[in-house]
Amino acid sequence: MTLNPLLLVTFFPLIGVLIVLLLKPAWKNALRWTALSTALVTFGLSIWMLTQFNAASGDMQFEFLLPWFNLGGNPIGVHFGVDGISILMVLLTTFLTPLAILSTWKAVAEKVKGFMAFFLLLEVGMLGVFLSLDMVLFYIFWEFTLIPMYFLIGLWGGERRVYAAVKFFLYTFAGSILMLAGILWIGLQYGSFDLSLLSSAGLIPATAQLWLFGAFGLAFAIKVPMFPLHSWLPDAHTEAPTAGSVILAGVLLKMGTYGFLRFNLPLFPNASMQLAPWMAGVAVIGIIYGAAVAYRQKDVKRLVAYSSISHLGFVVLGIFALNLQGIQGAILQMVNHGLSTGALFLVVGLLYERRHTRVLENFGGLWKVMPVMGTLALITVLSSVGLPGLNGFVGEFTILLGTFKSTVLGSPWFAGVATFGVILAAVYLFHMFQKLFLGPVTHDENLKLKDVSVREILVLAPILLLAFWIGIYPKPFFMLMAPAVEKLAVLVQNAASLVH
Amino acid sequence: MESTQLFNLVPWVVFLPLIGLGINLLVGRRLGEVFAGTLASLATGLAFVVSILLAVALTGHTEGTTVVLADWITIGDFTTRWAFRVDTLSVVMMLVVSGVGMLIHIYSIGYMHNDVRHNGDAGRFTRFFVFLNLFIAAMMILVCADNFLMMFVGWEGVGLCSYLLIGFWFEKGKDGIGNAIAAKKAFITNRVGDFGLLIAMLLIFTNFGTLQFDQVFSQAAVVAAAKPGVMLLITLFMLLGVAGKSAQLPLFVWLPDAMAGPTPVSALIHAATMVTAGVYLVARSSVFYALVPAAQTVVTWVGAATALFAATIAVGQYDIKKVLAYSTISQLGFMVAAVGMGATVAGMFHLVTHAFFKGLLFLAAGSVIQGVERGMHHGAHPDHDTDPQDMRQMGGLRKQMPLTFWVYLIGALALAGIAPLAGFFSKDEILLSAWQTQPAIFIVLAFAAFLTAFYMGRQLIMVFFGKPQTKAAEHATESPLVVTLPLVILAALSVLGGALNFPGVHTLETWLSHTLGEGEPAHFNWLVAGISLALALCGLGIAWLIYGRKAEVAKVDPLKKGLGPVFMGMESKWWVDEFYQAVLLNPYKASAQFMAEQVDLGVIDRIGGGLAAGTRMLAEGIRKFQNGYIRTYALWMLLGLVVIMTYIFFK
Amino acid sequence: MTIIDLFSILPVIVLLVWALFLLMADLWLSKYKPGWTPVLAVVGLLLSLAASVFQAGENFSGFSGFILVDGFSNFLQPLFAITGILAIGLAYDYLKRHDIHRGEYFILILFSISGMMLMSSAGDLIMIFLSLELLSIPLYIMASLAYPRLESEEAGLKYFLLGTFSSGFLLFGIAMIYGATTTTNLLDIFKFVGAGLYDPTLMIIGSVLVLIALGFKVAAVPFQSWTPDVYQGSPSPVSAFMSVGVKAAGFSALLRVFSLIFPQLAPALTPVFWVIAALTMIVGNVVAISQTNLKRMLAYSSIAHAGYLLMAFVPFGDAVTRQNSIAAALFYLLAYGLASLGAWAVLIGLEGDKYSGNTLDDLAGLGKKSPISAALMTVFMLSFTGIPLTLGFWGKFYLFRTTIEGGFIGLAIIGLLTSLISAFYYLRVVVKMYFTEGETNFHWNFWTSAVAIFAGLALLVFSFVPGWFFELAARATLIGF
Repeated sequence: MTLNPLLLVTFFPLIGVLIVLLLKPAWKNALRWTALSTALVTFGLSIWMLTQFNAASGDMQFEFLLPWFNLGGNPIGVHFGVDGISILMVLLTTFLTPLAILSTWKAVAEKVKGFMAFFLLLEVGMLGVFLSLDMVLFYIFWEFTLIPMYFLIGLWGGERRVYAAVKFFLYTFAGSILMLAGILWIGLQYGSFDLSLLSSAGLIPATAQLWLFGAFGLAFAIKVPMFPLHSWLPDAHTEAPTAGSVILAGVLLKMGTYGFLRFNLPLFPNASMQLAPWMAGVAVIGIIYGAAVAYRQKDVKRLVAYSSISHLGFVVLGIFALNLQGIQGAILQMVNHGLSTGALFLVVGLLYERRHTRVLENFGGLWKVMPVMGTLALITVLSSVGLPGLNGFVGEFTILLGTFKSTVLGSPWFAGVATFGVILAAVYLFHMFQKLFLGPVTHDENLKLKDVSVREILVLAPILLLAFWIGIYPKPFFMLMAPAVEKLAVLVQNAASLVH
Repeated sequence: MESTQLFNLVPWVVFLPLIGLGINLLVGRRLGEVFAGTLASLATGLAFVVSILLAVALTGHTEGTTVVLADWITIGDFTTRWAFRVDTLSVVMMLVVSGVGMLIHIYSIGYMHNDVRHNGDAGRFTRFFVFLNLFIAAMMILVCADNFLMMFVGWEGVGLCSYLLIGFWFEKGKDGIGNAIAAKKAFITNRVGDFGLLIAMLLIFTNFGTLQFDQVFSQAAVVAAAKPGVMLLITLFMLLGVAGKSAQLPLFVWLPDAMAGPTPVSALIHAATMVTAGVYLVARSSVFYALVPAAQTVVTWVGAATALFAATIAVGQYDIKKVLAYSTISQLGFMVAAVGMGATVAGMFHLVTHAFFKGLLFLAAGSVIQGVERGMHHGAHPDHDTDPQDMRQMGGLRKQMPLTFWVYLIGALALAGIAPLAGFFSKDEILLSAWQTQPAIFIVLAFAAFLTAFYMGRQLIMVFFGKPQTKAAEHATESPLVVTLPLVILAALSVLGGALNFPGVHTLETWLSHTLGEGEPAHFNWLVAGISLALALCGLGIAWLIYGRKAEVAKVDPLKKGLGPVFMGMESKWWVDEFYQAVLLNPYKASAQFMAEQVDLGVIDRIGGGLAAGTRMLAEGIRKFQNGYIRTYALWMLLGLVVIMTYIFFK
Repeated sequence: MTIIDLFSILPVIVLLVWALFLLMADLWLSKYKPGWTPVLAVVGLLLSLAASVFQAGENFSGFSGFILVDGFSNFLQPLFAITGILAIGLAYDYLKRHDIHRGEYFILILFSISGMMLMSSAGDLIMIFLSLELLSIPLYIMASLAYPRLESEEAGLKYFLLGTFSSGFLLFGIAMIYGATTTTNLLDIFKFVGAGLYDPTLMIIGSVLVLIALGFKVAAVPFQSWTPDVYQGSPSPVSAFMSVGVKAAGFSALLRVFSLIFPQLAPALTPVFWVIAALTMIVGNVVAISQTNLKRMLAYSSIAHAGYLLMAFVPFGDAVTRQNSIAAALFYLLAYGLASLGAWAVLIGLEGDKYSGNTLDDLAGLGKKSPISAALMTVFMLSFTGIPLTLGFWGKFYLFRTTIEGGFIGLAIIGLLTSLISAFYYLRVVVKMYFTEGETNFHWNFWTSAVAIFAGLALLVFSFVPGWFFELAARATLIGF
């Protein structure tokens, strides 16, 4: 039999893990290179998968189904598959991971071995989440990602890392246990955990849908995180090591929004329609709230963390517009946020490596000291602020478009208020840029800061190039996801009408 | 070459500046100032050539065309593309942008040479031209987009350039941060406007199903008939965008602060081109406004009010650039009022002439400032306390800087509306249409025109006449050729600009009618012309009476005595900034602070911890029963038995 | 007494004979070759393990229904044997270090295990009582093995007094049931009840008394109070043995008796079980949070897990889910037992010579000092919590599934929420080991570590092939169905 590309992509990092485990802790560079090359090969494999992918079809592709075992009449299978929605998440993961690893060259000086091992394990977990089509398998990967991230924060994090790590673990676990109850219930009722079977028809009665939407939705909402379940995020983001924050913001949060797309919409279409205005309402609150709170942060990382709450509010809003523009915009925005916020964390990380502080007040005037850095940071900020011509705008505008004309939401106010958030985004991001890079150099320590090295440029440049690409010519991305999204939208519509 | 093929050149008006920008970004710094400056100017110059070629092509095919470059976003029923609209309206804008732009590029080579040294960072020279080219590119995208979304790209793009150039000396200004704050203020104020434009676009798409100009405007009449309310909303939200970009009430506050940027920037972006984008937008969407009289009235009044309001402030300013800034706001008010009244051509006409003479005035002001700066460095003991932009510290410069004086004089007279200079004709057309349609507006605008003449007169006198007030002014010297040459050219344009739409000929009118549709040309009206000329003259005259007669410029402005509190208001910009600070910014800051501390850390963040603490307390509570005595444990078992039994038998 | 009868208790006979022989041999061995006794004890357990495997698949009764050999006993008896082997592995180094190395210890384990084995295949209430005593009495002694250490004696005494107290309940209950049905044989009772020839009042009183007695053994609230004190006081290997063996034995009796003869009482008893299960989960997990002593923490965690096991048992009256609830309980016992023995193993390695070093803080820095043990401990904690890629996850998965299947979603939610609470104190162990600096004096010993490694690997490896164990547990049917 030919080797299934999905298995290859998902589990290839494990080879890296094995090698890393065999190497001596002292061989730091060997460890780094092993991890980096593994991540790069994984990226290559995912690109190869992309070339094999048939963008015209909205169905699951490269499906791999291996019956695992049977539990009281419930078959549990190792079922992988990829469609236009998940392939983007996979690519985002495999794209960001090597960059994140490359960013740790200097930042992670001790316990390199453990760091790299956990990091590659984390990649496996994330890829598994995006590719699983069996709910139990999904849950396993979902929970599994907790462990490496928990250690990454707890072992390589900042001062309050333990608090942050435990908080991160407990919040996510709290959400997912209810999801487990939901999964079990579905399995018992319909004799299968297999998504492709379950989502083929809106078979779940409307009232049950509401409960299940809650059970799954809570898990995802905590992961996203949606207001007011977000309070784990600022701590986790702030205390995590740079690479950790990048992956956390870049990929882990997307697991939440992805969950909404993969589970709540197809499995509970009525509930989705019924609750869409509520979800959208909360999302909008999150947009404004996150922006306002971010504006008053003194710690750069906390500022960026709260900005994530605001940005992901847009994503959730788009998803629950439940129309093509909204959902496609949301998916693209998931990628955009991964790039922009990832880059923001990298920039903050570079500053932290040099100054060992994240307090805004300790910076200022850096553009004069490190011009290249300033320019890169500026572009990053602009892509995050949603400047037309860069990636953020395309996502945000399409989301707003979808929300504005959404018949499910039925009110332009959601989009109206969300658009207002665009102003607030400019407020806190330019506030941040000014505090960091503009004005006179107020601290003498800053005078002798080195500008970015070639390696550091190599970390940021790919992200920013992609940001321009998506901003100017997003067509390939939309074409990739369009069939799958159309299928999803149709499914939601039909199922909803079916049960009524 | 067939003219239709010439049309295909249009993307180059964007690409050329981008290429220049790219080269400068990579090697500009190494190859030195002359190279960087020349390259940038060349890029813009070539764009100007392309624009001319397009204009030529248009004479043959006045209907214009659309050059599609690529698809942009396509989702379901929403599609939008990168496409360039070539028609008489967009080409006029292209010509102005690239033409004036080129002159200002050249001027900047000389100006920035001194400026970077005066500010002590010669290395930043190249960056200036990178930003300048970026601006030209963005502005071109704005004016030749064939759909609202692509126009929005340029719209925010120029906003970004404005941000970058206002903050060009980001470590200077009040407390070293002033410039950066001014830049931020400009961008965010513009974002407020952009918010309006975004909403307008959302409304347009949901009701028209497209964002493409031609398709939208062709349906406009139908939709307007079906949903008048929607059309009103669209036009008003659009107006918000206009108010932001073209610094109209209530969003004008950013423009005066924008003077923190180097003078060429003030000339190019904040006088000649970017700020006119709003006017262009209304002109472009004139079909909409024509269909919604209510919106027209609002637009007109916003323009008129702005014209007068800003003029009053200009009277009370001492900073040479601030006066020009408020004058710009005021003149933009004229244009907006014009397009609001449906006198689109008049508006565009004034836009063009204003680009000439206001560009000229700013550049000349820059020349003056640098003259004074050179004066400051003169002699053994350079003085640093002189503010080279404070008119009170100038005086008598016409002797030191004759050329600058003459061109300044021309610009000022043109602005004041003295026949036969460009400003006279364009402003006259606006006043005329006001006279014909809405007398109230006419009165407001006329008064504004009078004030314009007055404050320009005041400025001329304070700067060039009387005796030098400071050593610096005394030793000021004329600027080099590279600076003065563009001045001369612009001066010429300011003199001859009126010919563009000379009464009776109406070149521009017919030219634009191909895009805006046939409007009956405004017939020259001697009465109106007479009034406006008279107003201008007595404005200047009064200025001379108040400021000119005594050689010594009094330390206290003579108007203060006369007007007292009114002048106080003018001098302190009617406290608008303070008002916004108190009503918008501080409340937002406070509520954000409240949310960040009391709500987020105080409540939401405590929920998790609270639950944990609760469980812990519960644990401590239960622990109490674990006292280590066997009798207690046995008792628990018995209790268990009793409870279960009672439950089973008494349920 | 036929050969069948003997065959029916073959594993027990092997064990008992071996134990008696070893008892005498030890008189001599303890003088000259003290190391041999444990080894020989293990041999005995292996033999009995072989015997029980030899019985696999059989389905018959012996001693005129006193003994039932069925899938149920076939599943549990090997489990007991293995538990015994591991318990010996734990004790070996520990006893030496605290120089309380006495041969009796290992022999007592054999006796106790033979009691557990009988318990798992008891077909008569009298049999249940006898086996209960047989498994308990050796434990009373073992608990106070650390004589003259006061805590140990206290533990022994407490366990003894309360244990006999609970036995009283059991005996009384049996009497009631006899009064209600004129027999003590489970299958007969099953028949009579089926025919309706019984006195419901006496029956229910009897069932409650039995429930309390067994509830004491498995440490269900409110009969759990002895657990923390006894676990803390007795030598750690004994606590480990109790935390697994006794619990398993207690549940085996509970499962057999209740699902066999009390289904009709389900309407009355289910709410009782519901409340007991909920209370046990809540009290166990909540109080564990405030423990700083690891032994007490594990004691409470063992209480909590008793609660989860009871949860699966709540729908015992429902013929459809009954088989699943038994299987789920057995599977969970397996996962729990491995994790528990492993955790105790690490604890024993941690415990200083003067019974010191079993507080939470003593874990600090274990991640550096002994990465492997720390990693293993992490596995055990994650398995306790029910995080995927450990057997514990599948255990919870199956349990909650059965509970929801039985229609007790509310109870399942309580279980899930309490396991969130449990995550809090299990994680604290990980935090201590890895995230806090400290100097632990961890004693690496081959046998102890072997147990830990075996348990850890089992938990991880089996989590990839849980199906096989699900099958096994599912085949553990009770005779009489």
